[in-house]
Amino acid sequence: MSRSRLGSGRLATAFEMGLREYARTPVLLALLFFLPAYFVGIFVYVLPASEVPITIPGTGRTLVATIEVYGVLLIPMMAALIGGLAGLFVMLTAQEADGRLVVAGYRPVHLVLGRYALIAIAGLVAVGVSLAVLAIEFVPERVGWVVVASLLLALTYGMLGTLSGLVLSRLAGVYTMLMLPMIDVFFFQNPMVEEYHWIAAYLPAHGVIEVATDAGFTSGVALDPLLGSLAYFVLAALLATGAFYRSLRV
Amino acid sequence: MADAREAHGGVGTAAGRGRRLQAGVSSHVRAFVRTPINVVLLIALPIVMVEGYGAAMEAFPSLPFIDTAQMVEMGRVNGAIYTVAFFAGVLGLFQVISALQADERLRICGYSRAELFLSRLATVVLGTLVITLVSLGVLWWSTPVEAPLAAFGGLALAGLIYGLIGMLVGAVLPRALEGSLVIVFVVDADDFLSSGMLDLDAAILNAFPLHFPHKLFRDAVFEGSVPTGDVAGGVVYLVVVLAVVSVLYTRLTGEGGVAG
Repeated sequence: MSRSRLGSGRLATAFEMGLREYARTPVLLALLFFLPAYFVGIFVYVLPASEVPITIPGTGRTLVATIEVYGVLLIPMMAALIGGLAGLFVMLTAQEADGRLVVAGYRPVHLVLGRYALIAIAGLVAVGVSLAVLAIEFVPERVGWVVVASLLLALTYGMLGTLSGLVLSRLAGVYTMLMLPMIDVFFFQNPMVEEYHWIAAYLPAHGVIEVATDAGFTSGVALDPLLGSLAYFVLAALLATGAFYRSLRV
Repeated sequence: MADAREAHGGVGTAAGRGRRLQAGVSSHVRAFVRTPINVVLLIALPIVMVEGYGAAMEAFPSLPFIDTAQMVEMGRVNGAIYTVAFFAGVLGLFQVISALQADERLRICGYSRAELFLSRLATVVLGTLVITLVSLGVLWWSTPVEAPLAAFGGLALAGLIYGLIGMLVGAVLPRALEGSLVIVFVVDADDFLSSGMLDLDAAILNAFPLHFPHKLFRDAVFEGSVPTGDVAGGVVYLVVVLAVVSVLYTRLTGEGGVAG
C-alpha cells in the first residue's frame, strides 16, 4: 500500500472514530441541534418589529428590521460558540488517546486534521440549525456566503478553543471561549455602530461579520474582508497545531 | 471513648458537622486556587469584560430606548452582571462535575448528602461573592455607583441564581462539554435579552433568571433606588431555584446524574 493511501486511510479512520464518539453521546448531539434552535428561536420570538440603522459595507447607513440585524449576527455567533467549545473539548478529551495512537504509528497530522474536520461538522450543524430557525422570519439575501463566512468563524474559534484548552486549564479555556465570541460578535462587530472601535479590527469576527452583513442585505458581496479572516484562521490554526504537537511531545 | 469523641466535636455533633463542612469547603477552594490561571482569571475577567463592554457600547448609535448619555456606563454595567452570572454558572457546573465521584466516596466515609451539598454550595457562594466584589470594584473604578450596597446585592443575586443553575445543570448533565454548552447558551441569551439594551415587552422575559437582578443592579447604579417589587421577585426566584437544586442534587448525585 502506498504511503499516501495509508495516510488518507488513517485520516479517514481518525475522523470516523471522532464521528462515532459524537454518535455515542446522544445528549451532545441533541444539544448541538437544540441549543442553536433555542437561542435563535428566543430572539425571533421576543425582538420587536422596529427598525434600526446599520452600516452595510459598500452601501452605507441603511434602516433594517431589528430581527434581520440580529439574524445576520446570530448565525456566525452560533458557529463561533459551538466551534470554540468543540475545539476546546474535542482536543482535550482526545489528547491521551491521541498520544497512544502516535506511539502506535499514527502521524500527528492525521489526528489533527481528523479533529479539525469534527470541529467543522459541529460548526456546520450549528449554522444549518440556526439558519433553519431564522428562516421563520428572515432569509439572508445570499445564504451561501453567510454559511461560508460563519463556517470560517467556527473554524477560527475552533482553533482558538483548541489553543486555549492546551495552553490554559480546562476551566480557564471554557471561560475564555464562552465570553470572547459574545463580546466580539454582538458588541464589537455589531453593524449598528456608526464607527467601529479600534479593537474590533483585531478580533476574529471582524471580516466575517462584514461579509455576513453584506450577504444578508445585498446581492453583490464584496469578499475582500474574508482574506483578513482567512489569514486570522491560518495563524490560529498554526498556533493550535503547534500547541497540539507540543502536547504530544513529538 | 465515644463520649470523648462527642465532647471534642465528633461525627454526630454540631461542632463536628461544622468542621466537616469547613474541611469540605477549604478543600474545594484549594482545588480551585491550585491552578494559578483560575486566580488570574478571577481578576482579569471582570476587568476585560467590564471595560470591554463599555468600549464596545461607546460606538453604538442613539437608540430610542437607551439614554445615549449613559451608553458606555450601560455597557460596563452589563459587562459586570454578565461576568458574575457567567463565572458563577460555570463554577457551579464544574464544582458538581468534579464532585460526583469524590462525593460518592465521601458518602461511604460517612458524609451525609446534605453535608456534601452544603459544602459544594458554600464554595459556589464564596466564589460568587469574590467575583461580585471584584466586578463591582472594577465598575466603581470607572463609573459612579449611586447605591453601592444595593448594587452589590443585585450583582450577588445574579451570581447566586446562576451558581445554583450551574449546579443544577451539573447534576442533570455531569459532562463538561454538554454542561458548558447549556450554561453559555442560557447565560448569553438571558443576559442580552434582560439587559435593557433592547426595547422588549414579551411576558416570557419576566421568567428569565437575570430579569430581576438586571433591573435591581441598573437601578442601584444609575438611580440609587431599590424597588421592593424587584427585590421580592429576585429573592423568590433564588429560593425556588435553591429548593429545586437541593432536591435534584441530593437525588441525582447518588445516581451519577441523568447523562452520567
